[in-house]
Amino acid sequence: MDRRNFLKIIGSGVAGAATGNLLTPGRTLAKEGTSAKELYGILVDTTRCIGCRRCELGCAEVNGLPIPDISESKNENLLKTIRKTSDAQYTIINRYETEKGTIFVPKRCMHCNQPGCVAACLVKAMRKRPSGHVTWDLNCIGCRLCMISCPFDIPKFEYNKAMPRIQKCNLCYDRYNNGVLPACVEVCPTQALMFGSRRQILDEGKRRIAANPDKYIEHIYGEYEVGGTSHLYISSVPFEQIGFRKDLGTVAYPEYSTGFLYAVPFIFVLWPIVMLGMNRATKKSKEDEGHHEEKGKH
Amino acid sequence: MNRKLIFFLVSIAYLILISYGLYSVYTVEATLRVKEPPKIKPENKIAIARTEIFGKLERPQVIFNHGKHEEAFKKEGCNTCHPEKDGQILFDFPKTVKKKGKTAVMNAYHDQCIDCHKKSSSENKKTGPVNCGDCHKEKEKAIQVKYPVFEFDFYVHDKHVKKLKEKIGKDDCGLCHHSYDINEEDETLALVYEKGTEESCYYCHEFGKKRGPELTAITTVAAKKGLDIRSASHQQCLNCHLKYKEEYLKKGEKEACPTECSKCHTGKYRTVAELEKIVRPDRDQKDKPFIDIENSKMKGVTFDHKSHEANSKTCRSCHHETLNACDTCHSLTGKPEGNGINVANAYHHVFSEHSCAGCHNKKKEEKKCAGCHHFIPAMDVETMNPKKETCTACHSGKKDQIAMPKPLSTAGLNKDKVKKEVEIKVLEKEFEPSKFPHLDIIDKLVKVSNDSKMATYFHGNLQTLCEGCHHRSIAQAEAQKDTPPNCKNCHMTAYDGQNLNRTRLLSAYHRQCMGCHDKMGIEKGSSVRFKEGDRCGTCHKKKVGGPTEITHIKNQNVAKQNKNNILNVWRPK
Repeated sequence: MDRRNFLKIIGSGVAGAATGNLLTPGRTLAKEGTSAKELYGILVDTTRCIGCRRCELGCAEVNGLPIPDISESKNENLLKTIRKTSDAQYTIINRYETEKGTIFVPKRCMHCNQPGCVAACLVKAMRKRPSGHVTWDLNCIGCRLCMISCPFDIPKFEYNKAMPRIQKCNLCYDRYNNGVLPACVEVCPTQALMFGSRRQILDEGKRRIAANPDKYIEHIYGEYEVGGTSHLYISSVPFEQIGFRKDLGTVAYPEYSTGFLYAVPFIFVLWPIVMLGMNRATKKSKEDEGHHEEKGKH
Repeated sequence: MNRKLIFFLVSIAYLILISYGLYSVYTVEATLRVKEPPKIKPENKIAIARTEIFGKLERPQVIFNHGKHEEAFKKEGCNTCHPEKDGQILFDFPKTVKKKGKTAVMNAYHDQCIDCHKKSSSENKKTGPVNCGDCHKEKEKAIQVKYPVFEFDFYVHDKHVKKLKEKIGKDDCGLCHHSYDINEEDETLALVYEKGTEESCYYCHEFGKKRGPELTAITTVAAKKGLDIRSASHQQCLNCHLKYKEEYLKKGEKEACPTECSKCHTGKYRTVAELEKIVRPDRDQKDKPFIDIENSKMKGVTFDHKSHEANSKTCRSCHHETLNACDTCHSLTGKPEGNGINVANAYHHVFSEHSCAGCHNKKKEEKKCAGCHHFIPAMDVETMNPKKETCTACHSGKKDQIAMPKPLSTAGLNKDKVKKEVEIKVLEKEFEPSKFPHLDIIDKLVKVSNDSKMATYFHGNLQTLCEGCHHRSIAQAEAQKDTPPNCKNCHMTAYDGQNLNRTRLLSAYHRQCMGCHDKMGIEKGSSVRFKEGDRCGTCHKKKVGGPTEITHIKNQNVAKQNKNNILNVWRPK
């Protein structure tokens, strides 16, 4: 092998490794959160929520969003439709009529333990903080892969702005750093939302279910869904009746692509070496053959 | 050449990788939504699918019009189609199946139906189809025909008893009731009737439920004979009905002895209140048995069996396996017959359908009671430090005596201490004070309690009703300091940094008030119903000039300066 060939191979190997890493930025990032000591999140008790929409108001105030009208006459009409979070509303309340009467369900980012959005982000704008918060940074390139990868349909794009951003609940990360409860938790008049470490709120959810087996169904939504989330729900009716997806499985979304993405850099680096080896192994015999043929002609 | 080969192999590798990636993305499991097949009114029709034999059907199921066939064979009788054994018609179909297996059963169906249709058509009578598609209709493929279960309640039972007495001049329960002697070797003699041992059909003929060893032996025999509750009751009821139908028709009683499907399977069920006045069957049961378990630590209980009879739809709602007394199977330490459940748990298990405590807990979930009892945790034998009155309410130790307490009354209340109206000013900044009609609520609760016999018995005195709202009250300490039992004595205004789950005053009020209104179905002030106008306004009047912002710390710089902030207590450094 001459020098030129050697450099070529090394170069392609390095490039391959680099490209491979580019393709798998989120995989390592998404796990960063779980290695921290505690993840923080919210336990939502849907049996306690009264649908007053004060969390929407508090959220809007803190995040500088358009202030919603939460008067009763407005609520009646608004809650007739099942709404989704938007770029101007990070948290919303939906009303569901079920076998056990009316149930209000607050909906916001679930802050997955291994978020699909973080794994999908090409530029590390979406980040899983060690404290569990899934946040968004300004270096976003607007590819909207996070929107596609989210199983809960949470990240929203500001389509109507000249400099659009991705908007979603960040579990009041700034307030957390300043030692204040998330706005929605602070203003909830019934303590339907409980803020705490994931371990704490999971324990509390399990305690409530065990203490009231008639009241709750034995399932904490988010305990295992998509590999676990920091936002947990407990309910008195099966979760599919109050607008939750039951088909998500318990595998974290980034893990679906992990095997594939791990294989990419491996192939980039090893494949040329294997090929080169094969090349070297077969080259000599072919040269010999050519030589014999030439001899024969003479 | 070599370079070409390398390129070729690399591109193959890429292809494999890409196809593997696509494969792993598109093979993620997803659940399909299955549409429920439409249901039709039964109207004496039967869906013949027999999927337990045939599995997946080759042709669509047959919707068989049983009513029409019944009408046509009125003269010939049911045994034209159904097999007969020892003078009793067995309501099976087809009559004979020669061999086991799918094809044999299918042939038996086809032979019996089509042969009869052919025969009548050769006799130039009006008859049914003989071609495949006329019975196996594609459009009826997904239809569900389901009959509601018939409930042989005490009203129907009483009617049968009376008619029977009219007919033969004495009680003969043996016409329907029998018991199976499992120890009898000669099977023909095993079915016996003995007066005073009558029980429900469900005990032996219902196979779905888990039973004790003794009953399991009997249900196994019944299962072997194919006598599940469906075939057993059809055989028993219909044979008798067929026998007496003619006679009643002649008398002009057209409704007597029904044989059509929809006459019994109406889907209408009588409530406990409707059945209250019906005389329950007499089986020599005591009206007020004294339950005193030998060697038990607790005093005996005088149990008002008679009033409990009137409050249940069936005997088996308590006597779940036999009509014996509880302590025949449930001993102090538990016996295998009683599934290892000891007598204390048999009476006190909170979530059982058959125990005293379990049934009473169900009762407490009713609208009137749930307002308070929703918040009070259920008590069982393992509850720590129960009040003395809680136990002695039943465990009086007095034989044949049930001391009914006097109805409650608010007459003796100290009007200075028990306020007529309480003003709650927790949300003072945003709203005007809420006015809480304290005395009116007490009056209402007293009325609810006095209306129910069970509540009157167990509430005992007025203090009990106070505990509905003033739960876990530190009554002694409050009495010493002479402070009224306010919510704020325990519930703090702000979040407790040490325990974020602790209910703060704001949510204590909302959860207690709205929870009670929700559970009692009081529209005003409940959480679920939207009335015209302001839902919050029922309790809170909007204050003029109040703040528009509801979050306390909006400016983050303020929060930074606030060094005693609540999360500092537990937040990781």
